[in-house]
Amino acid sequence: MDIILAAVGDAFAWQALLAIVVGTWAGIIIGGLPGLGSVVGLTIFLPFTFGMSTITSMALLIGVYCGSVYGGSITAILINTPGTPQSAATTFDGYPMTQQGRVDEALGWATFASFFGGVLSCVILIFCAPQLAKFAVNFGSIEVFALICLAMMCIVGVSKGSVMKGLVCGMIGFFLSMVGSDPITGADRFTFGSYTLSSGLTLIPVVVGAFALSEIFVRFSSRDDPGAKIPEARLRLPKLGEWFKRWIELVRGSLIGSFIGALPGTGAAAAAFISYATAQKMSPRRDRLGQGEPDGIIASESSNNAVTGSSFIPTLALGIPGDVVTAMMMGAMVIHGITPGVRLMVDQAQTVYSLFVVLIIVNVAMLILSKPSIGLFRYLFRLHQGYVMAAIVMFSFIGAATVRGNPLDLVVAAVTGILAYALRRADYPLAPLVIGMVLGPELESSLRRGLLIKRGDFFELLTHSGISMALFSLLALLIVWTVWSSIAQWRAAARNQPSYD
Amino acid sequence: MVARLAHPRVLLALGLFLLGVVLAFHAWSGPSDAMLVPRIVLTLWSGVALAITLVELSRVTGTGSWPLSTLPVLMGAVLIAAIAVASLGFLLASLPLVALTLWLFRLHRPLPMALGTLVIAGGLWFLFHHVLLIRLPTLLTSGAL
Repeated sequence: MDIILAAVGDAFAWQALLAIVVGTWAGIIIGGLPGLGSVVGLTIFLPFTFGMSTITSMALLIGVYCGSVYGGSITAILINTPGTPQSAATTFDGYPMTQQGRVDEALGWATFASFFGGVLSCVILIFCAPQLAKFAVNFGSIEVFALICLAMMCIVGVSKGSVMKGLVCGMIGFFLSMVGSDPITGADRFTFGSYTLSSGLTLIPVVVGAFALSEIFVRFSSRDDPGAKIPEARLRLPKLGEWFKRWIELVRGSLIGSFIGALPGTGAAAAAFISYATAQKMSPRRDRLGQGEPDGIIASESSNNAVTGSSFIPTLALGIPGDVVTAMMMGAMVIHGITPGVRLMVDQAQTVYSLFVVLIIVNVAMLILSKPSIGLFRYLFRLHQGYVMAAIVMFSFIGAATVRGNPLDLVVAAVTGILAYALRRADYPLAPLVIGMVLGPELESSLRRGLLIKRGDFFELLTHSGISMALFSLLALLIVWTVWSSIAQWRAAARNQPSYD
Repeated sequence: MVARLAHPRVLLALGLFLLGVVLAFHAWSGPSDAMLVPRIVLTLWSGVALAITLVELSRVTGTGSWPLSTLPVLMGAVLIAAIAVASLGFLLASLPLVALTLWLFRLHRPLPMALGTLVIAGGLWFLFHHVLLIRLPTLLTSGAL
């Protein structure tokens, strides 16, 4: 009880509250600017956290994350351009409502559904994460290895585009994590005689390059300027009676988002589309979906915001990030002395409870800050795109340069940015690359420890315990399913779209 | 066939395959303990990249092209600035990069460009280096610039 009270005290400290307000407000704005999104938002704000305490810095980043997921819905409703892919499904009913002159109502539903989904997923996180961590204490090296392989295969299996491309990106991520000194023998690997490379590569410069810098290159090559006219809009939150009529849609969307968010590799965009598809089958007003029906906005926004809380379940309890955003959050946690994984709930319980409270406050802050933020978009869209892009270049450089003060990290970010641009143009998914880099060290050390225990016998590794056998069996099934479905996908693609120009 | 090989998708897949092979050779010639996992990873990388190359080769028709325009200029500037930070310090390396970025994004009027460069590059450098005391790489050993 003392720990919980102390954790609440940490979360309600004025520095943490200020960080929540600034982070959430900035997240809403960044999320609303098409093409930027959560990862760029975190890239911009990460350098600010280096001088902050652990809870304050995490409060800022969680604010940016949750705010950006909600912010994407504002431009989806106002100009039919989702600020983030997570809000793409919101355009189906949000923009028709704007065209019908019901923009205030649409924004109100998006805000309330986002708040509801976010809070419900926090509650689920609070109950599920400690239980999962308790169960995961039974995991030894071999079980951890099996779990990481399974998570990686899930991420590769649901990657956008080709599974093979996802797999090769995952391998690139694993490889990047292996540059530098070997953690067990201390031998240099892939340093090619360079002293600066022997300290290895860190996650943040790779993420900065892969997402922020490559985004600038993509925007530059497409010259996509979202110079749209924003309609006059004010927020009108639904009245109690109105949301009570649609409570089933709110709960269903939030539960779908919470479930999908806890699975590795899926993310908020998938949650929003699955929730929308479910609403098309189950909503009592399904015949009006797509023509400006609030149930469509509720389905999309409650589920994509529910992902923000539940995606922390595998991250905090197992140390396995579900997507790029949580991988980056995990990197930031490590920088600030939080080590996600099975021991976290035991060793840093107060910090974990503080994060839970912070997540709830962030959702309340999002509800309060939504009104002043919406008015700002009219002015932001008049700003020249060059200023935004130049600022992102600077923040990317600052983020990469300040992680550990090694100038090599800037070069790594620049090279990764150029490579990531090429990969994006050829439809390679980047999420497996980043998550491979996060999971690489644990994958390697758990495999090598496991082989030491089993005296190098790979077969004994597979049959070590009931849990490991179950996990390896699931992995085998997943591999078979992935190969099967990708062959079917490839054949269908060959029939319908036989070639690229 | 040669035309197909010149397609950017094929070139990228081939590049990944060759890189994987070179790194895999390096891993197989290194110490077996430290290189155990890299050997597995890089062999898998090479195999999958070869399969991607073959699939891309079977799919592409013409030489194809990605609209690059002046993108290599921006990419080169980012890379040069990143390398220059170590010797010139953060401020001197980032000022021309920000100015060039603004210009490439079609902000050609001198006053907004100069002000934008000063505020974005100079302002952010001052904020982090001198106000927040989050130190950035410097030219002078005193740390002022």
